[in-house]
Formats: sequence, structure tokens, C-alpha cells
Amino acid sequence: MFSGSQFDATTAFSGGGFMASQSTNLNDSSPSAAKSRETQGLIPVTVKQISEASHSGDEKSNFVINGIDVNNVTLVGMMFEKAERTTDVNFVLDDGTGRIKCRRWVNEAFDTKEMEEVQDGMYVRVYGHLKSFQGVKQLVVFSVRPVTNFDEISFHFIDCIHNHLHTKVKAEGITPANPSSGSSLITPVKNASNGSQEPSSNPGYAQYSVDGLKDCDKLVMDYLQQHSDMSDERGIHVNELSRELKLPMDKIMLSLKTLGDDGLVYSTIDDYHYKQA
Amino acid sequence: MDTSNPAVFVNAELLQFYVGRRVRAVMQVVRSEGGVVIGKSTDEKQLVVKGPPPPAPLTNFVEVIGIVDNDRSIRAEIWTNFGNVIDMFSYNKLCQLANGEFKHLFV
Repeated sequence: MFSGSQFDATTAFSGGGFMASQSTNLNDSSPSAAKSRETQGLIPVTVKQISEASHSGDEKSNFVINGIDVNNVTLVGMMFEKAERTTDVNFVLDDGTGRIKCRRWVNEAFDTKEMEEVQDGMYVRVYGHLKSFQGVKQLVVFSVRPVTNFDEISFHFIDCIHNHLHTKVKAEGITPANPSSGSSLITPVKNASNGSQEPSSNPGYAQYSVDGLKDCDKLVMDYLQQHSDMSDERGIHVNELSRELKLPMDKIMLSLKTLGDDGLVYSTIDDYHYKQA
Repeated sequence: MDTSNPAVFVNAELLQFYVGRRVRAVMQVVRSEGGVVIGKSTDEKQLVVKGPPPPAPLTNFVEVIGIVDNDRSIRAEIWTNFGNVIDMFSYNKLCQLANGEFKHLFV
């Protein structure tokens, strides 16, 4: 099922405090641990995205952005209305898309020192946890840093866009095979199959691997399955797979090897043609 | 949580679509005279910024947040010094993305 060489992000990062321990299917080939399937560790967002986030289940007070449970977020914006009290510091963060109330609990000297360095009118980078208080979304912040290199502002918003696209592509990439009018099943950017994604209402949705396959393997399998009746006995050439799925050749070959080991595909006339078993 | 008064990322080219609205723009300061600052926008066009004088001294690059007067000028509310080095190209690309395909993430 899970090959021994897989990067097991759960054990490696379980102490980090950013990863939810609920997710055990972290057999993602990409070593980037922040991109788990069900709960992301820390995502960059804009206040506008937060304002549109909805609540996930009832027990968890988590929010859902783009179909992904959101625990921790990072924002970049300007600080206003900083109000220092004994146990906490409140302020409003305005990132140009909206304003959100933030609260930073101050327990140690380090916290006080950190908050002293930021003033009203300064651009800051915050890391925090989304909370809802009396119906109003707020941020419980655990880190505030002044922005010194202002490329960070461009970077953050581009990061938000990137993350948004990434989760959207992942969401569409793991939708069960759903051919629509013969168009290519997996298109990286535009959605060809499902229109609106409602993952929060379908708990099984986030399981990207239905039967233990990695998502790349699944893409290859789906493609072979979809084209099995159209191809002749020679099967599908790996170039066609690489071109249609827009995946690099080495990923394709690796997937085919895994699938071949599992007995799901076999090579036909040469090592470059494969068919579904 | 209040998203009623956003400041849209713009370059000179996009100013014309936001006349009368609140925007933010980064520009390279060319010269400052009287109550007016002339700058070069991220897409290499001239911008004129009026309004209350900026907190002196201005660095090479500044961000202006304010209301758009016309397709070449902004009435500043907030000035932020962005230092002497910044990636104008990335910011320009961000303006295009934030007003195009990903507008829903911003306004």
C-alpha cells in the first residue's frame, strides 16, 4: 500500500503544532508537508477570503476555505487601532481587501517585546488562528512581525493566489472519473467536470486516493481506463500520457511502474506502450 | 470583519476603471514639488499624486493609498515608504492578476 520510501509527513511534523493529527493518508509524493489533504497547516489568505469562509462540522470550530479545513493562516497588512492591555493586545489588520480584528495574548516578556516593535500604520505579517466570536470572525494571533522588505507584500498576495489555485486544482484533480463530453478529464487550470465543489458536505471527498493509489497513479489509471476502448491492442504511448495529463515523463514512468507492480497495467509492444489490465 | 472599503491593487493602466474609488499603488518617486508628487507607476507610466504632504523624507519607492481622481492621478490618504529596492515587475503582475482572474480574492 504505502511504499517504504514515502515521506511520512504525519510523524515527521506531528510535533509542529500546525498539522492536524486526524489525517493519516499523507502519502503524498511531494515532500512539502504543509500541503496535507484534509487540513492544511498554514495558508496565506486575504481578509476577503476569510470573510467568505464557512464553518465546517459542528464540533470543530474550523473554517472552510476553498473546501479545505483551515486552522492557521498568515496575512500581511497594515496595523490599526492597536490597544494594549495587561493580558493581551488588540488591533485591526487592514490588508487592502478588508479589516479583521486581531488579538495577541501576552504571556511572556517575549510577547510584549514583539508587540512593542509594531505600531499603527506599519505593515506587519501575522500568523494566527481563525476564531468566531459572537458571530464575528477574528484572528487569535501568535506572531506579529514588521515587514521590512516590501516585496513581502507582493509575495504574500501572489502566494494567496497560488495557494487558491493549488487547492482548486487538487480539488478538481481528485474528483472521481467523470468524463464530460469527451473532453480531457484533467485540465490543470479550468474545471472540465464538476461545477461547484461542495467538499464539506461529503466527508469522503477529501480522500484523494480511493484505493490506496497516489493521485498521479490515479490520473494515469483513469486515462488508460477512459481510452481503453478507443485504443487498439498496442495500448497508449507514454508520450501521449505525458502530454494529455501534463505531467513530467519521470512521474508517468514511476506511476506506470507502481501500477505494473500492482498488476493494474501492463506494457504491450514495448516499454513505452501500456494498457489497463 | 469589514470588507466594505477595500483598496484595490492598481497600476497606471487600471486607474481609469477605479475613478472615485479607493486604490493602492506602488510607484517610483520622480520628483516632489509643492503638494504634488510625480512618480512612475509599476507599468512605466507617469502618476501624479496630490494630497496632504507625505511624511518626509520619501524613499525611492512609495506606496500610495487613496482615492482616484482621474486616470493619471490619485488623491493620497496614506503614504508608505517602500524603501529603495523593490520588484516593480512582480507588483505589476500582481495588479493584473488581482484585477483579472483572481479579483474575487481581493474585492
